[in-house]
This record gives sequence, C-alpha cells and structure tokens, in this order.
Amino acid sequence: MEQFDAVIIGGGTAGLSALKKLSDLNKSAILIEAGNQMGTKNVSGGILYSKRDPSTTIYNVEDVFGSDFVSSAPIERLIKKYYLHATSKSKIFTLDLTPLHEYKTNFGYSVLLNRLVPWLAERASESAEKHGGGIITGVHVSDIQWIDDKTIVTTNELEEFQAKAIIAADGVNSEVAELTAARHKFTPEELYFGVKVIIKLPERIIEERFNLDSSEGSAHLFAGDITSNLIGGGFLYTNRETLSLGAVYHYDSLLSNPITPSQLINQLIENSLISEYIKDEVPLRNDIKDLPKEDQLKIHLSASKLMKTYDELRYKYFSKNSKELVESGKFTNIEEIRTKIDSIKKDLIEKYGVQFVNNYVELEYSAKLIPDGKRCRMKKPFYRNILFIGDAAGRGIFIGPKIEGLNVGIDDAVRASIAISRSLENSNFGSDYMGKYYESLINESPYTNDMKKIDKDYLTLFLDIVRNISTGFIDPRYSFVLNLMKNSGFRGIAVGLANILGYDKILPIVESKNTYIQLPISLANRLGNIFTSSYVPAIPTLSERIAKLQYNDDTDSHIIVKNKKSEFMKKLVLLCPTKCYSSEEGEVILQHEGCVECGTCSFETDWKHPKGEKGIIYRYG
Amino acid sequence: MLNVGVIIKLEPDFSEGNVSYNSDGTLNRAETKNILGPHSAVACNAAFYCKVKYGAQISIGTMGPPIAETALRQAQVLTNAEELNLYSDRLFAGADTLATAEVLKNGVGKMFGGGIIDIVFSGHRASDGETGQTGPQTAWKLGYTFLGNVIEFNIDSDRKVVIAKRLISLQGMDTIIEEVESPLPVFITIDPSYRSIYNTVSQRLLLNKFRKEGRKRSEDYRQFLKVYTSKNLDLDPKRVGLQGSPTIVYRVEKIPRARTNRKTEIIDPSNPNNIMPLITKIIQLARGK
Ligand SMILES: Cc1cc2nc3c(=O)[nH]c(=O)nc-3n(C[C@H](O)[C@H](O)[C@H](O)COP(=O)(O)OP(=O)(O)OC[C@H]3O[C@@H](n4cnc5c(N)ncnc54)[C@H](O)[C@@H]3O)c2cc1C
Ligand code: SF4
Repeated sequence: MEQFDAVIIGGGTAGLSALKKLSDLNKSAILIEAGNQMGTKNVSGGILYSKRDPSTTIYNVEDVFGSDFVSSAPIERLIKKYYLHATSKSKIFTLDLTPLHEYKTNFGYSVLLNRLVPWLAERASESAEKHGGGIITGVHVSDIQWIDDKTIVTTNELEEFQAKAIIAADGVNSEVAELTAARHKFTPEELYFGVKVIIKLPERIIEERFNLDSSEGSAHLFAGDITSNLIGGGFLYTNRETLSLGAVYHYDSLLSNPITPSQLINQLIENSLISEYIKDEVPLRNDIKDLPKEDQLKIHLSASKLMKTYDELRYKYFSKNSKELVESGKFTNIEEIRTKIDSIKKDLIEKYGVQFVNNYVELEYSAKLIPDGKRCRMKKPFYRNILFIGDAAGRGIFIGPKIEGLNVGIDDAVRASIAISRSLENSNFGSDYMGKYYESLINESPYTNDMKKIDKDYLTLFLDIVRNISTGFIDPRYSFVLNLMKNSGFRGIAVGLANILGYDKILPIVESKNTYIQLPISLANRLGNIFTSSYVPAIPTLSERIAKLQYNDDTDSHIIVKNKKSEFMKKLVLLCPTKCYSSEEGEVILQHEGCVECGTCSFETDWKHPKGEKGIIYRYG
Repeated sequence: MLNVGVIIKLEPDFSEGNVSYNSDGTLNRAETKNILGPHSAVACNAAFYCKVKYGAQISIGTMGPPIAETALRQAQVLTNAEELNLYSDRLFAGADTLATAEVLKNGVGKMFGGGIIDIVFSGHRASDGETGQTGPQTAWKLGYTFLGNVIEFNIDSDRKVVIAKRLISLQGMDTIIEEVESPLPVFITIDPSYRSIYNTVSQRLLLNKFRKEGRKRSEDYRQFLKVYTSKNLDLDPKRVGLQGSPTIVYRVEKIPRARTNRKTEIIDPSNPNNIMPLITKIIQLARGK
C-alpha cells in the first residue's frame, strides 16, 4: 500500500493553502479533490480579504501564495467602495459602509473561484512537486479507517493508501466530519444559504456604470423589501467582465418561510436599481420558419458563428486589452474595431433577423450553504490525526450580509500546516500532540478569539455611520444607543453598553427581522429616492438556468432520502435550488441529476458528494 | 524502453459557433476552425497511458499541409510527446487512404531515428471523411499485427506482448468484447469509448507531471518538430498523392432520406387517464402488433 506523509482532502481555497504551506515547510503532501478540474466545485460571493491586526498574526493569501499575489493572480477588482442599499418598492436609500469594508483590511478583491482556484492550484502543486507531492483531481474520499497504527484512506477511484496526517478541507458539507463524528452535522440555525448568478457585462461598461477607475470595483448590499421577509440580504459585486449577484439568507429563516431560491434572485433582478446596474444591449434571435429544417439549421449555425464573433469583438473592444487588436495588426485603430462591430451588427439584423434589445445576460446559477462561525465553529477542530480547516470546521464570519470565509480558511490552513509539520519532524501524530497544538494555534487566531470583538467593532462602525440619520423611526433599542453615538464623548459608553448587554443579547437584536427588514424599509420609505428602470428584464426560468449548468451525470444517486414523509423533506420541494425534489401523494421523490451539491437537503438525508468527476461543473463559482 | 507512435489528423471543428457553411450547403473550410480530430485525441490518450504506466516515449505523425502543425501541437499537449513529425509535400495532395498509408508507413519508419516502434496508435476513423481504412492499410504495409476497436489494453513487457480488449459490433448481432493477445509490434486503432484508467496515487502524480511537461513542451513545439517531404521519406512519387491513389471519387451524393411515415400523437402527461392507454400501446408495439 502506498503511504504519504500528509493528505489534504478538498481542494478549495483552504485545502490549497494547506498544500502550499506544507510544501513550503519542505513537507511532502498530496491533495485529493473530487472535481475533475480544480475550481469546478467551489462557490463564493465573493470578496477575498487580506486582513491585518497589529496585536497579532494573521496569515493572508499573499503570505501563502507569494507577495506577487495581487499582481499575478486572476483576481477581479479591488473593492474600493462598499454600499448598503435599503429598499422599499422603487425607493432606495443608500448608506456608504466603506469603513466596515476597510476594517482591519489590507485589501479586498472580488474573485471568481473557478478562475482563482486553478491558479492557486498551479502554485501549490509547483511547490508540492518539489517534495514528491501534488494534486489529484477527480477522486472522492469515501472512508477513513484506523487499523492498528495505520490510517487508511479509501476512495471511489483509487487503490487504498495510507496517511500519517490528514487535513479535512472538504467544505461545509464535510463527509470527513460525518464519517468520524468529529462534530455534529450543522443545524439550520447554524447555517446560511447562499444563491448567486453571474451576469455578463463588458469591462468598460461596468466601469462607466459603477463610476469606477480601471481595475477598481465596488460592492453593493441590499436589504429591505427585496428579501421577502427573510433574514438576510442581497449582494452585487463587480468583477472584471461580470457581476456577481446573489442573496444570503439564514437557513432557519428560509425553513420557516420556504421559497424557491431562484425566486430570491428574481426579486433582486426585479428591483429597479439592480436591473439598471445589470442592463446590456442583447441580441435576440427570431425564429425562421418558412425554410426546410436543414436550411434552418444551417442559418442557425451561421448566425451563431456571427453572433459569437460579434460578442467576442465587442467584449474585446470594451476591455482594457482593446489595444491588442490594433497592436496585432488586425485593425489599424480602435475606431475601425467599432466600425467592424457595427457592420456585423447590421448583418445580424438584416441577414439573420436578429434584434438588439435591452436585457441582461446570465451566465451561471449557483447555490451553497455557508457555516456561521459564530454559532457552529468546531471548538475542538481535530479528531485523531485529522485537522479540520475552513468551512469543514464551520469557521465563516458573518456580519450582516458581509461574509468572510475565504480568508479564515487560509489562516486555518497555515496553522494546521504548522502543526502537521511539527508532527512530521517528531513522528508524533497523536491527538494530544498534533490536534491540541493545532487547537492552540487556532485559538491564537484573531478569527477565533476576536469573533465577538469583531462583531462589536462592526456594530460600532455601523452605528457611527448611521448616527446622523434621523432616529425617530428606528427601533427604540437602537435609538438609545444611537443618541449616545451622536455625541462622540458618549461613543465609548455606547460601545460599553453594547458590551454590558452582552454578546448573546446583541446577536438576536442585530440578526432580527427588525434590523434586516423593517429598518431598511423604513429608511427607504422616509429618506430614499425613487428609481425607475428603463426596461423589464427577461428573467430566465429555473429550467433555463439549470439547462445552462454543466454536469457530469452519475447514474447512482449520491443522496438517499431517509424519511420521504418528513416535514423537513417536504419543504425541500421548494427549497432545493434546482428543484431536485418533487412531492407525490405525500411522499418526497428525489431526482439527483440536477443537484448542485449545495447541501441544503443534507440535514435529513444520507448525503455524500458525488463520486470523483461526477456532478456539477461550475465555470465561474 | 517502449517506443510508441501515434498517427493523427487535423479536422474541421464541427461544434456550434465554430463551424461555417457556404450558401450551397457545403462546408466553408476557410471559415471553419481546425482542431485535432476527436478520434485522434483518443489515440493520443492511449499513447499517454503507455507513458504513465510503462514509461514509453512517444512520437506523433501526421500527413497534411503545414497548418497540420496545429494538430501536432495539440497532440503534444495530450501526450507530452518527445517527437512530432509532419509529412508534408505538394505531391501528397489528392491522396486516397492507400496513398496516405504509404506515406504513414515510411513516416513510422523514421520515428526515433528509425528505431522499432512497438505500438502505433491511431483513431478509428476521421470525422470529416469515411477513411477508416487508413489505419489497417498502414498496419498491413508496416507488416504489424492489427488490432481494431480496442477499448482496453495492457502490456506485458517481459513477454513483449500486448493483451487487449476489442469491441466488436456487427449488424444484426450482439456486441461482444473479445480479449486478444498479440506479440509486439502492433498497430492499434482505439475505439472512441476508450478511457485510460489510472488507479494509484503515484500514477496520478506522474500523470500530472507529464501533462504539465506536455503543455510546456507544446509552447515551444517547433523544437520537437521534424518536417518530411516525399524525398526524405524515401517515397516513390508514383505511390503517393493522386498518382498513387487507385480510388476515384466520382461524385459524393447526398443520400435522399426516405419519407418517414410515422404518426405522432401528443399525450398530456398531467392527465393520469392518458397513461394506461399509452402503456398498453407500448406493450402491443413491443409484442410486434
Ligand atoms: C453565496 C456565497 C457568498 C460568499 N461570499 C463570501 C465573501 O464575499 N467572502 C468570503 O471570504 N467568503 C465568502 N463566502 C464563503 C466562502 O466562499 C467559503 O467560506 C469558502 O469558499 C470555503 O472554502 P473551503 O476551501 O473551506 O471549502 P470549499 O470551497 O467548499 O472546498 C471544499 C472542496 O472539497 C472537495 N470535497 C468535498 N468532499 C470531498 C471528498 N470526500 N473527497 C474529495 N474532495 C472533496 C469539494 O469538491 C471542494 O472542492 C461565500 C459563500 C457563498 C456560498
Ligand atoms: S438535492 Fe440537496 S444538495 Fe442537491 S441541490 Fe438540491 S438541496 Fe442542494
């Protein structure tokens, strides 16, 4: 049986950081990832933060992957502005929350994981190969057993092998946690549910529309009536040539008020401010009917080719790299590109009956659960010789709709690597030696011990921002604090008061319908401006959204329903983001083929990730 | 060391958004992108398997115009080949499968400086022409044992034999899988259903290493490229190109499709009363009524 020093299960941002760090510590490590290609299983919002804390150490992405991270990695835009839009019908009131975003921050970049993860993987495997390690894709770990003094890893695809130490970086729906019973399965109260679409928009149009300098971006959060009375909110992040538009909700709030996730996205799109943000000029085909089938097909294919050329050229024209087309000699100047685009457009209209209309273009629909670290992080993030990191350890940080999971996972990864490295040097993998040491390192992390403090700091910052707003209509529980905040002399007292109230008391106030829904609605009603949209977006149906997704189908289901009649399962008929559940005569039936592996149904099912290479293949993430 | 050769072909990309047709309905070759043919790609995968599993060195060959370099380059990405060979000469134009096989035979003879090639792989046909004979004809000219439609194979290097599974489907008969053993050298055409299976961690690590190397090599593929003409392939001009082609394509006709005579009935599935009659009908049909 083959044997390896360190085995990392899961190749998201956390797992890859562990591989890179262990290799840089001159240790041999292999990483096993279920997806066929790196980054095809990972979903984020997402803003990747690099944080600082003068009083302690934080391990950031650039510490692990190189100081050239910002200049070399395929990251999207440096987020400079951070807004919260309170909505009530067509009224919108905008708060500038940039100080919240800048809190202890070196930088925050918008990222698409399908772009970023392969780059991280390339860097990590380069280091790993120097020590005989590397990344193995398309392999699903199905079991871990301890026989005598051996730890044996079983997969669906490969011969069994042995590991001295294991890092579980297998995400929020961690099977390693399940197999080992290292922690309980996260409950709905401990989770958020995220759903997102990627929207296509040319680079320079994004910059003009959001008033951005080249390479810079902004983040927009939404709260108020667009949340359908659920605790959570929407987000819109600018990427280079796309926008990430999504919603994040408390899972238990969704359970008590089930709604189709796709509908949550639609509600965002129907908002006039958002629909204007995502608007583009989009070609619309007309059916050609009077010709024989074969000719129709040929015209269809030729029109496709021309539309593809049009689209590529237009995106290039509106991109930073438009000059390349001139430099390569294809065009003599930028104006000529414009002329060419217009002439193709004319051809499309005249020869192929294509129309150009105001609409928007969705590229990908995705969904995933997110652990709420405040509620569910593992107090003891280890089991035997396994260390848990990132979402697998339940360590995301939530502050309202602001999420930090990526950076926390990276920090965990470094700490786990340090612990394993020490164990490899001393050939001691006992939980008292390795696990306990990791625990102590994790407890030094500001992401662990300052979690409560972070919340309070954020609250202070938030109150600071809203202190100039008329408080008459704000919940009396706030207005007292707010009035104190108005006077800088009393600000310290206000924070002190928040401390006295106690963390556990503050949390329900902060995460209440009042804060998430009523407060923004009344803000918008009282102080908001009216926004109207110049068009009605043609929102794809759920079937169209699913049809655009790419899957590698497995004939066997990776999910087994335990109780077809339970109340929970019945709710999944609505709650499954891709409608894998239907109900017939009081029983719930699963059709696993459209599953996006979000984990929402895992609470009452026998839930596994699909076998290696199988299942959803995200192209943006 | 196991020496492996692969014969590949550049083909039009028929996927939507890439293919283009002339107004008379024929393929517009100038506007259509060219890629390594899908069957050639499968042959490349089989050769790569030999590299990972048996440490083989790989040489790729193709006959075609200079633009066929694109296919060689793509094949190098897939195989991390040590050698790329382009057999390119105006004299080769208009070749049928027999004249093509003549070029390929001599091409294989030049691989790795004229050393013995233990296995030659090719795809089982091309997607832009019914030219499935090229492989068997080349094998025959080389004097190699020919194994067609191979879906799985392993090599016993001590005994110098290959053990292979072949998929045999004949019209009107059940598809069977035949297991054969043959001494090296062999010429193998790979079935499109072939998948390489790498089932240990070490094989996977090696695979990654070679893939990466392959990508790197292909960036500078000309360094690995040898271009041959009829002269330096020692070919007799009478046996290549149009001259060497006994086949005369008189005309390619579209086969008129028979008028279908099916009746369609639309059944509304939301009405359960419709389902039973449907099942009864299917059963009747299945019984041949
Ligand atoms: C909508 C949304 C918005 C978010 N926004 C932000 C944000 O703005 N900023 C931020 O910092 N965070 C954000 N997050 C959270 C962040 O995305 C996650 O915390 C982070 O991606 C988790 O990384 P990970 O490596 O721990 O897990 P994952 O990325 O989930 O990786 C787990 C990997 O393990 C693999 N795997 C699982 N089981 C097995 C197995 N048995 N065998 C082999 N492989 C396996 C999976 O295929 C997967 O690749 C957001 C999340 C969502 C869903
Ligand atoms: S079946 Fe379950 S895991 Fe899959 S998409 Fe639906 S809710 Fe998510």
